[in-house]
Amino acid sequence: MEQTIIVIAEHFEGQIKQVTYELIACAAKLQRFKTLAIRVMVLGDDVAKLAREIAQISGHDTLAIQVPSLHYYNGETYSDVLAHLLTEYKAAYICAAHTSQGLDFAPALAVALDADCITGVEDVVEKDGNICVARPLYGGKILAHHRTGAKTSILTIQPGVFKPLESGYHAPGAVEIKSIIYESRRSVSLGLKQAAADTSGIAEAKVIVAAGRGIGEAENLGIIEQLAQLFPRSAVAGSRIVCDMGWLEYKCQVGVTGATVTPELYIACGISGAVQHVSGMRSSGFIVAINTDPAAAIFQVSDICVVEDLKTFIPIFIEMYAKFKNNNQSEFKRP
Amino acid sequence: MKILVCVKQVPESDIIIQINEKGTWIQADSFNEFKMNRLDEFAVEEAMRLKESFDDVSVDILSVGPERSADVIKRAIGMGADNGIHLKTDIDAYLVPSWVAARIAEYAANRSYDLIFTGAMSEDHMNGQVGPMIAAHVNLPCATGVILQQLSFDNKTLYVEREIEGGGRDTLELKIPAVVTIQSGPNTPRYPSLSNLLRASKQELEIIDAGSFNRTHTGEKIYRLTYPMKSRAGEILTGSPQDKAKKLLKILRQKAFID
Repeated sequence: MEQTIIVIAEHFEGQIKQVTYELIACAAKLQRFKTLAIRVMVLGDDVAKLAREIAQISGHDTLAIQVPSLHYYNGETYSDVLAHLLTEYKAAYICAAHTSQGLDFAPALAVALDADCITGVEDVVEKDGNICVARPLYGGKILAHHRTGAKTSILTIQPGVFKPLESGYHAPGAVEIKSIIYESRRSVSLGLKQAAADTSGIAEAKVIVAAGRGIGEAENLGIIEQLAQLFPRSAVAGSRIVCDMGWLEYKCQVGVTGATVTPELYIACGISGAVQHVSGMRSSGFIVAINTDPAAAIFQVSDICVVEDLKTFIPIFIEMYAKFKNNNQSEFKRP
Repeated sequence: MKILVCVKQVPESDIIIQINEKGTWIQADSFNEFKMNRLDEFAVEEAMRLKESFDDVSVDILSVGPERSADVIKRAIGMGADNGIHLKTDIDAYLVPSWVAARIAEYAANRSYDLIFTGAMSEDHMNGQVGPMIAAHVNLPCATGVILQQLSFDNKTLYVEREIEGGGRDTLELKIPAVVTIQSGPNTPRYPSLSNLLRASKQELEIIDAGSFNRTHTGEKIYRLTYPMKSRAGEILTGSPQDKAKKLLKILRQKAFID
């Protein structure tokens, strides 16, 4: 059998998640370096329709793995069923999403298949004749190129990095449906407990001023709020740690486990720029970052970098703006 | 009940990191100050809370790493844990998570732990693999990214809530023994107490040679390090804070974000 790249589709509440097509784009990039066939797999209790949709849109052969007990995502079922099935395929690469699901089952699957596991992948490149995958280290300050050593490499791909391919005309891929009876013995998934926090407040803002660990203490949120007040239709948001500390409510959290926002202006104050945060704001129109650490990863995704302590810089900025407004108005009033 | 908490020592995060001349790893003198991985502090705290809620709970702390890693084991004992185990490595280098997980699994395999906790991910290498890989090696159920757990010791089950994208929660019930990786948020990690730190300073750690990583590892390895490419202009404002504020105001006005 020809060597393959297996893409594990991700779906939620009956919908294919966008990241599935990003995984296919990553697989297509791997094909540039090595002749490999792409095959998509989708697991669940009722996924035949989803498999047809993927085959139609991507043009790749898709396998629907119907497991009646798999109404909700269950890591044990995913890794056991995939380990069982994948021994039949000569998979050079297995691409899963770097999400709460992919990161849950991929490491166990790697142990079962004696495969390499590389998580949080942002790119695949050829370096000196070797296929390498790139992933961030140290909160994004460094990019590491990993080389794989095993027959099979499992990659979890950071969502939002690979652009789904344009779906020009192509014949739909073949759809195969396989039914497998499997009951997880040691874990029972009980479903989704609570819907996500209502993040519509920050999702609709034109300008977001976001606070990170660098604000130091809750009292300093005041200057973040004052800065936000200078802009019409603005909102205050925060990174995960600020919400974990209880300084801001979870509905104000930007990042993987919070809201994904695309305001016209995003001002990141004291935010280091870990990938979990950046993936929630990198598509903002214009990004200004204020941070004392000149090497902070946030500066790599910023249009304007201000290397200053926000606690002193923001008050200076606010005062300067007030002075400017006063001058302007007095000039205006002058006869 | 026996709980094993796996902790990692990581560099302080607010430092400038330099890549070495060959581009193969970090320059040796980049790291001077170290701390316990933040999510591992939450894992230790979860174990301490179980110790306080149930009778007869002992908490073991394990870390894989070079000599200096003993500091975080001692810190966890300072937080109230009972015993420390140091799987000592002969080199101070990037340790591949599958290798680390295999070493921990070897240690844990016949020691009948009821629960094994780790942080969901380390701040420095950000792999998030060690916990679920330990579970796969010792054939235990596992839940990752857990922000709430309730133990029913009589039923031998653990109810957990995992955090998923967008802030929702995925719920499941695990049979114990089980492995759980902890996300931030379920608790506020305590500071070590003076009396426990005194105990930690006197207490001997169980030190086990983790074997030579270089010799035994054949799989995935880091080939090259680079600094990430900027995805945007990244104009750095220069001058005094006042100069920078003036420049920023000018830019924001030109773009009509502010009037």
